Amino acid sequence: MNLAAPDDHAGDSLSALLDGELSPAEESAVQAHLVTCMACRHEMETIGVARQWIRALPPVEPPFGLYERMLVPYRPGRRRVAMAFLGAAAAVAAVLVSVAPAPPPAVDPNVATLIEAHATSAAEGDALTNLAPAGVPVSINP
Amino acid sequence: MTDGNVPTWEEVARDHGRFLYTVAFRLTGNDDDAQDLVQEVLLRVRKGLETYRPGSLEGWLSRITTNTFLDEVRRKRRRPADPLPENPDWVLPPSMAADEALAGGALPDDVQTALRGLPADYRAAVVLCDVVGLPYQEIASALDVPVGTVRSRIHRGRAMLREVLA
Repeated sequence: MNLAAPDDHAGDSLSALLDGELSPAEESAVQAHLVTCMACRHEMETIGVARQWIRALPPVEPPFGLYERMLVPYRPGRRRVAMAFLGAAAAVAAVLVSVAPAPPPAVDPNVATLIEAHATSAAEGDALTNLAPAGVPVSINP
Repeated sequence: MTDGNVPTWEEVARDHGRFLYTVAFRLTGNDDDAQDLVQEVLLRVRKGLETYRPGSLEGWLSRITTNTFLDEVRRKRRRPADPLPENPDWVLPPSMAADEALAGGALPDDVQTALRGLPADYRAAVVLCDVVGLPYQEIASALDVPVGTVRSRIHRGRAMLREVLA
């Protein structure tokens, strides 16, 4: 950045200044420029407000069950094929079950872990109403 | 982490589910796309497609999320059947009362709408800086662009957002 000429402005150095991303030398130069340049002072204020607005955005709670649903294999753009496959698999499974009942298959990934995760997050209750959650799943883990 | 190496997708979902969804939501601006993005990110983690570098797990996750998001934006751009509002002019500026603006507050929904109106490359840089809190150097590495480009995108992104919400 060269702020030697009177027409030069600090530009994106202003964001870098707000973010603490300037070297000490750069910072001194921008600070000195701000003292004399009203346009840059105004821009600094404008940018600072936008920065604060974005930083004030709250965390977003994932929809209930989002991660649990991912136990089902996910194939982007091939859902119909996957559904057809599941249908066929269900038919085969029905036949197999009727012939020889098998022990329940091991589930991978661990469902209990995910239920546990939800119980933990749900246990925080509703921030708005300050009410406790309606129901907290009981852990399957011993 | 089980073995000190790559975290499993279950660990990511269990310990960082809210963080991941928040980043995805801020990038995409709506629940449907955020859910799709989260699924795609976990798929990449699950398949071991992303090199894990020991360090900030959330930094690593937000890098994957941002790149997955940008890949998707580019893919949709090649098949423009379902255009994203990349052009700020396509997004109606959120209405905000003058006194609200003067008080220095903006409604989160309005800020989110304005964020969604930014070009995807700017939005990615702004989200990594102001939502995730990564330093410029890490953002540059995540987006594979020079630090100067990061600086300019963050600055212009903020300026555009401020203009829309003015």
